[in-house]
Amino acid sequence: MIRTERKYIEILRILKDHSEPVGAKRLSEIMAERGFILTDRAVQYYLQYLDEMGFTEKVGNFGRILTAAGIAETNYALVGDRIGFIISKLERLAFRTTFDPETATGDVGYNLSIVPKDQEELVISVFDEVIKAECGFFCSYRIVDHDPRVPSGSIGIMTICSISMDGVFQRNGIPVKMAYGGRLSIENGTPTTFLDLIGYRGTTIDPLQLFVSAGLTSIRTLLRTKAGIGLANVREVPCTAEGRVKELIISMRKCGFVFPIQMGNTVLNLQPNPHRISIASFSGMNFVANATEQGVRITTEIGAGNIRFSKIVDME
Amino acid sequence: MMSPPKFINNRIEEFALQVTYSPEERTGTCVYNLSLIRSEDLEFAIKIFKDSYRAGISVSGLVRFLQPGVTIEDYPVPEGCIGIVSVCSSTLDGLLLRRGIPMKPIGGGIVEIDHRVPKRFIHMILYEHTTIDPLQVLISQELTSVNAVMRQGSGNLLANIRECHMEAESLVGEVLDSLTGSDLSGILEVGMPNTPTLGVTVDPQFLGIVAVGGTNPMAAIREEGRWEVIRAMKGLMDVGEMTHINEY
Repeated sequence: MIRTERKYIEILRILKDHSEPVGAKRLSEIMAERGFILTDRAVQYYLQYLDEMGFTEKVGNFGRILTAAGIAETNYALVGDRIGFIISKLERLAFRTTFDPETATGDVGYNLSIVPKDQEELVISVFDEVIKAECGFFCSYRIVDHDPRVPSGSIGIMTICSISMDGVFQRNGIPVKMAYGGRLSIENGTPTTFLDLIGYRGTTIDPLQLFVSAGLTSIRTLLRTKAGIGLANVREVPCTAEGRVKELIISMRKCGFVFPIQMGNTVLNLQPNPHRISIASFSGMNFVANATEQGVRITTEIGAGNIRFSKIVDME
Repeated sequence: MMSPPKFINNRIEEFALQVTYSPEERTGTCVYNLSLIRSEDLEFAIKIFKDSYRAGISVSGLVRFLQPGVTIEDYPVPEGCIGIVSVCSSTLDGLLLRRGIPMKPIGGGIVEIDHRVPKRFIHMILYEHTTIDPLQVLISQELTSVNAVMRQGSGNLLANIRECHMEAESLVGEVLDSLTGSDLSGILEVGMPNTPTLGVTVDPQFLGIVAVGGTNPMAAIREEGRWEVIRAMKGLMDVGEMTHINEY
């Protein structure tokens, strides 16, 4: 029974990833790629059930699309499964990152924020503040208006997702584990203490998104008084990779990336780990947190896709 | 250097170990949450607490309202605010531990209720992966619909889950039975051994117990657009210092 539910939900997830209708034959191919071997006929049977539940609907002979109820179902069903989904979605982005810091070319992962057009000026000024204070993950962002995901009357903003760092490490043969999203206290311009941590492997909602919407940041105060609370990530790499990681960080910094805050076996008030190097870095979500604090009606998809690095830098 | 942030499973166990509440005697200490509302919203809050008690979605009918300036655990209630002390569901964990039941807190999340029947968890944050109370952050994600549950019987509630070894199943049953006629309630579901409970996987040979979160009335107040602040698992209090909501 549970195994069956897993298949239903996987079909819904595939449809969610596609903006155009998908036919039963194509669905059974994609299902097979994901480890679910089903005949076309079986897929038809599942689809009929999903139609009856009101989760999918037919678009002529082109295939099925998700209904609003179907989209909601992918956000609600299989809670245990979705705990792992937050990180596996980011890991996919890391894997698809082809950025080479030596040549400053290739693709990086990005977050996509949507903001009402009448707040464009405000959001640009609050984003620029974060860049100036060097507490974003990267020194630039890109405004997009011709994107199917951006509703009319709104603008989209792409910021580089810090998972791009994991992608660069992995392409250089370094295993890296995204461990926590946290709230970091800063005093006199110096990061001092992690106030809270949420592990990426223990939640169905992105840790940093939780902190932003719970109003638990104070970036605005931080930018004005050099004391406040920002968002940071903690990742871990093997000790033997330390030298190579440092080299990569130096070349990434030359491309405009702003990290790390600290790295080592003992980082700030994190539990010391003799076998792993922790890397603490500011998150690109600090842009979003600052905007939210200052009244911008902003919604953000973390890890929305991959894009050519040059497209984000061109904004300057 | 500051000490590392403390993960919530540790905090729950530390508090649970200090619970002395006896459901039979209706005396002893329980774990409480402290919340703040604006003074002018007091009448409104009392109404919501009454409604949620009647609807069976609060951990207990016991509450205590604190006037501005009153200090609790070194924390003075600010001017213009009322402090609300309500019973935290970790009190239940304390009861289980005191009866010698091997118990592990799993996590806090949001449960979908369909026509008064709990259907599934739709969100979950595991305690051993977080240093902030899951319900404290979930309450502000606009995912709850506590008022809808109270009025129509369908919607989303804050809830939490712990697991007990199946060997202790009969003892668990005794503890839950003892709650009848006590000041504690709010058990949503007791799962079968080795079976996911409301969609949350339990360890081999364990069974899950789901209880409503003590902060559901606060979520209901927030849904109505009123200002509130929640500080979950604030400390321990003797139930004698609290009053039943129906007496207000």
